[in-house]
Amino acid sequence: MSKILEQLATAIIEGDIDNTPKLVQKALDEGLEPLSILNDGMVMGMNEVGRRFKAGEMFVPEVLMSAEAMQAGLKILRPLLVSSGAKLLGKVIMATVQGDLHDIGKNLVGMMCEGAGFEVIDLGFDVPAERIVQAVKEHKPDIVGLSALLTTTMRQMAYTIKALEEAGLRDKVKVMVGGAPVDAEFAKKIGADGYGSNAAAGAELAKKLVGAA
Amino acid sequence: MRTNYRVNSGTRFHVFSKDQLEQLFWDTLHILEYTGLDVHHEEAREILKKAGAWVDGIRVRLPSYMVRKALSMAPRSFTLWARDGDPKKNIHIGPGRAYFGPGPTCPNFIDPYTLERRPYVKGDAELVAKVVDALPNIDFCESLGSISDVHVDLSALYEFAYMFPNTSKPIVAWSFRWDDSEAIHKIAITEAGGQEAFERRPNYVHYCEPVSPLVSTFEALDKLIFAARHRVPLVFTPCPIAGATAPCTLAGLIAQAAAESWMGLTLAQTIAPGLPFFMGGVTSILDMQTMIFSYGAPELALAECGLTELAHYAGIPLWNTGGCTDSKTLDEQAAIEGSFSVMAAALCGGDLTHDVGYTESAMTGSLFQLCMMDEAIGWSRRVTRGIEVNEETLAVEVIKSVGPNGHYLRHPHTRKFFKTEFWYPTLCDRHNYEEWSAAGSLPMRERVIAKVREILETHTPPPIKKETRDVIEKVLADAEARVKSTDTKKK
Repeated sequence: MSKILEQLATAIIEGDIDNTPKLVQKALDEGLEPLSILNDGMVMGMNEVGRRFKAGEMFVPEVLMSAEAMQAGLKILRPLLVSSGAKLLGKVIMATVQGDLHDIGKNLVGMMCEGAGFEVIDLGFDVPAERIVQAVKEHKPDIVGLSALLTTTMRQMAYTIKALEEAGLRDKVKVMVGGAPVDAEFAKKIGADGYGSNAAAGAELAKKLVGAA
Repeated sequence: MRTNYRVNSGTRFHVFSKDQLEQLFWDTLHILEYTGLDVHHEEAREILKKAGAWVDGIRVRLPSYMVRKALSMAPRSFTLWARDGDPKKNIHIGPGRAYFGPGPTCPNFIDPYTLERRPYVKGDAELVAKVVDALPNIDFCESLGSISDVHVDLSALYEFAYMFPNTSKPIVAWSFRWDDSEAIHKIAITEAGGQEAFERRPNYVHYCEPVSPLVSTFEALDKLIFAARHRVPLVFTPCPIAGATAPCTLAGLIAQAAAESWMGLTLAQTIAPGLPFFMGGVTSILDMQTMIFSYGAPELALAECGLTELAHYAGIPLWNTGGCTDSKTLDEQAAIEGSFSVMAAALCGGDLTHDVGYTESAMTGSLFQLCMMDEAIGWSRRVTRGIEVNEETLAVEVIKSVGPNGHYLRHPHTRKFFKTEFWYPTLCDRHNYEEWSAAGSLPMRERVIAKVREILETHTPPPIKKETRDVIEKVLADAEARVKSTDTKKK
């Protein structure tokens, strides 16, 4: 691995938000391929972050800093990658379903997905099924992530999936669900493609759903 | 601007009011002045008599001024030093601090591999010292057992000789009599760099135990005199049994324990003014149904807290008791009894809390109990650290900047404080069900066993000096020769 890619991986691990874009620029100036900068530098760093988090050596606020550093670097890389036609990890739409104002779990999954290299479009909380359908039409995401904290609102996940079916969009996107009352069995029952038991598992699942893990 | 702001950041609780403490203090002095103790040591009686004590046969009564003078000479604050100089392992005795460690001399031990209860043997002292060295919330070392497979007179010496190389944390050492005290001291001062270096930075504490009610035995005082003359910090701790060898009522239990300790204190300060001295007491009850001296009773924790307050009122540190249980195995009872007494000890700031790791009412030492209590001590220490209140921790501006329905996960304020404000467990499991079951659905008991074994297999304690290793070999050989010649004479 070249020195600059190693430095970039370290910057991601350390959550160095200021330095990461500078290193990305430096790598581009040195003539490295954008895809190599992403995969051999930044993603390597993020993989190490994932390993350390799982092993209990890194903590959520630190992982989020790494994710932020990742985003700061991707801001420069993304247009270049798109114009070069490289395959990106994908786009995720995140929403807390209608009737539910609980935001933090969904935010955590979104941030973890960003850290993994996804582009995340956050629709916020209390989002009606129609708005999600609308957003899928507009953004053409790979994945829709639905969150609910309440047993009273988790039904709304099923309605949302139904709305996607009725709009003829269900086979165009993968749907992942999560939240305290949700489990794998419920996910299966309502016809979702997967369930994540926490934010890190959610990001892992997203990678799996796009065939990247 | 804030003015006259009173910072009270620790969590505190009190058993006694100021009047109660005053009454306990003066009534303890009354016991020493008018009842006195039987002192089974001629030289000790002479020293005390010369200092002003009233001696009638073996009965010694101390006029209150003598005890108050001794209390005024004993330090409230001093340091016990790690033998390798590691500042994280030093123990700074003083107000608002509480330290923890195992206890001595259980006949049995839970084998960390077979999980059997069996007699305590030589190698066990090494295992205990190693685990003590590795656990972050265990601060000093005792052996959790009495070695059964050496000559009966040498178990204390072998124990120290095996513990000393396997932990650099300060050791609390017991002994039978003057000669094994001397051998232990030789090992410690060699590592410290001589007697004077040791006096400046003592790396072990000498433990002796008088008998309740109101008896200072020859052995206890002889060892006390040894320690005082060599300026070894002292623990002098009776073991009064409420309802049997002490009053059934906790106030009387505490007063008697204090009187028994202060006889030792007065003698020690007369010989060696300013000698660091821990008054003691394992103060618990005789269970009137089983006849067991209970190590899991709430009265133990409560009386220890009361005794701690009396000690601090009198201006000296306390040898406290906690983290122990009457349970025979690593179970829910062991966790409840151990954790509550640990919490009580942490709350009252009992200076050195020993017997962490005792099970079966002190009959069996357990590394598993010790390891589980390390977690309970960490938990308790987070509570006693209290809640700091200032502009930064109140975070009014942070709350404003995040606003309704925002979140704090990415805020620099969170990043600054999440590691110090929160305590992170190492044994208590906080994973969700899926993760917990994926890791094997291990209950606490299994996690504790795994952690102890991992420490035993991976932890390397800091080494001792070569000359200390040589001295250990020599004192053991000399001691073996000594007991051999005594045994031959006896025949």
